[in-house]
Amino acid sequence: MPSVRHMNINKDPELKTFFQELRKQDEQLIIPPFPEVEKKSRSIWWIPAGIAATLLLGAFFLPLEKSAEPTAPEVLIITLEEGPNQELQFHIQETNEMDIWESPTASLLTEY
Amino acid sequence: MNRNQLDTFLRKHHQEAFLWARQCCGFDGELAKDVIQQVYLKVLEGKARMKTEAHPKTWLFSVIRFTAIDELRRKGKWQEVEIEEDMAWETEPEESDSHESLIRRLPKMQQEVLLMVFYHDMTLEEAAQVLQLHIGTVRTHYDRGKKKLKEWIETRKTFEV
Repeated sequence: MPSVRHMNINKDPELKTFFQELRKQDEQLIIPPFPEVEKKSRSIWWIPAGIAATLLLGAFFLPLEKSAEPTAPEVLIITLEEGPNQELQFHIQETNEMDIWESPTASLLTEY
Repeated sequence: MNRNQLDTFLRKHHQEAFLWARQCCGFDGELAKDVIQQVYLKVLEGKARMKTEAHPKTWLFSVIRFTAIDELRRKGKWQEVEIEEDMAWETEPEESDSHESLIRRLPKMQQEVLLMVFYHDMTLEEAAQVLQLHIGTVRTHYDRGKKKLKEWIETRKTFEV
């Protein structure tokens, strides 16, 4: 804007000299070098790349997880039963839990 | 201006920007280094944006000035500057007073207006833009500062005779 530049300022010659001297003194100052501002990359390509990498790693490691092995039977149920020819037979049953076992005489308890 | 243009602009005005930052920091060069670094980050990261590209220098000076004020306040030095001014205004300058110490005796606004006009060759309108003040107010600071500084320069001269 030319009107700005042409505004009349009464620059006092004494003050002009004073500030010129100040400028001269400032020539002795050490001006720090222009700081190299680290450029921040504005691209966000690494976000989808990161997600893809995570998915790949997940897919790679998940199948390697050991499937849960069947636990060894902890309970042995041994019952003595009478066979068709009135001989005694042992029946051995393996299980992890007791609740599947039913006492052969349980009915007596309930009926009683 | 895109980032590269801003970078070129800042490099071109670096020396003047640093000197202005130093003046805004009460002639403290170390503080000015921190201020100028912050200013460049603000500008290049788009935190400080130019509204119009007509007066890039006044915009840069304004960003520097406000950043310097923030930094002085943050470091608890802002009040020191104001108290110093009040004390200096009343007392006569001494023979040992340097150019800088004479300027520092003036109230902050007067210092800044005189430095912008006489040291950085800016107009009063440009100074008003930097200070974000009405031109009439800036002219008042300019006239008062000029009168007082001239008086002190005269007084200092009498010691030399």
